[in-house]
Amino acid sequence: MIKAAVEPWVEEPLGKFVKDAGVRLALLLLPSGQVMAQYGFTRALDVMSACALAAAIFASSGEMGKLLQGKSFSALHAGGNPQFFLAEAQTARGPYIFLTVFDQESSLGLVRVFYDEFKARLAAAAPPPVSQEPVLASNFEGELNRNLAFLFGRA
Amino acid sequence: MSLVNYQTREITCKIVYYGPGRSGKTTNLHFIYGQVPDDRKGKMVSLATQTDRTLFFDFLPLDLGTISGFTTRFQLYTVPGQVYYQATRKLVLQGADGVVFVADSQARQLQENIESFQDLHQNLSEQDVDPRSVPLVIQYNKQDLPKDLILTTDELSDAVNFRGVPDYSADALHGPGVFETLRGISEIVLKRLSAGATR
Repeated sequence: MIKAAVEPWVEEPLGKFVKDAGVRLALLLLPSGQVMAQYGFTRALDVMSACALAAAIFASSGEMGKLLQGKSFSALHAGGNPQFFLAEAQTARGPYIFLTVFDQESSLGLVRVFYDEFKARLAAAAPPPVSQEPVLASNFEGELNRNLAFLFGRA
Repeated sequence: MSLVNYQTREITCKIVYYGPGRSGKTTNLHFIYGQVPDDRKGKMVSLATQTDRTLFFDFLPLDLGTISGFTTRFQLYTVPGQVYYQATRKLVLQGADGVVFVADSQARQLQENIESFQDLHQNLSEQDVDPRSVPLVIQYNKQDLPKDLILTTDELSDAVNFRGVPDYSADALHGPGVFETLRGISEIVLKRLSAGATR
């Protein structure tokens, strides 16, 4: 059900949330705007844009919350059709931002109830931070240069 | 922190174009956007004022293709350069895997370049990031302007590039140097993934 999860431990909590809450789209991302998992988007490049904007909304509204009430808002909701709900989830891996979009098939009340469950499941599933092994071959520059040359019409 | 998805074999990196106001950060992204085929880029998002000054950030997602068997994507951001958008710059800089510092080559902008470069280092430090550990390249933009208005790349390097990072001469409006700058930062950022890093 989950289209893409960067790390497997995220899949079960997010999959259950999507199924229980009946939402159209769901995104779990880092505060820096990078996606951890997504449901419902068809194009990876659209996911990246949605993540950048969600991180920006959450960061800027957080700062506004600090100005107005001395602390960040814990969650944001935009009404209409569709609606969106944006909130933070804390784990042993650090904070994540969660965005979900829903229509008449669900409701804010349902989303909030299942979001609380999701947060708890996510926190329980999160493994401690790990060291990253080398990912790319040491001679990756050739491929990088070829790909960039293609993008810029220089191939 | 570059994100690596081992299941789908995808890498995502965040690159931030930083620099003083009107140095050409957004122009770099516009040029890249204009060059790249539609199927390899997302929508360019610009949160700008009515006069097209960057208010929050510009954002351009790029698909670089496959490198070492991993689909590699870059998220290119710019920050607003004007001094009073300090808080916004900090937010956008969060989690950057690499920084392109875009300096304005005009002689009268030298002080703004130096202050913005110091501001970058301060903002990284405030996020508990050692500025020396962040992949960085410098671009000396607007080198196409009349010689009596600009400083040479050597003069700019002396004034700004005290870390001795890779630097590039550019004319982002027309393209020269934009590709080389992106290639430069891409190499340094991806090199970390070939060496391993902590997340």
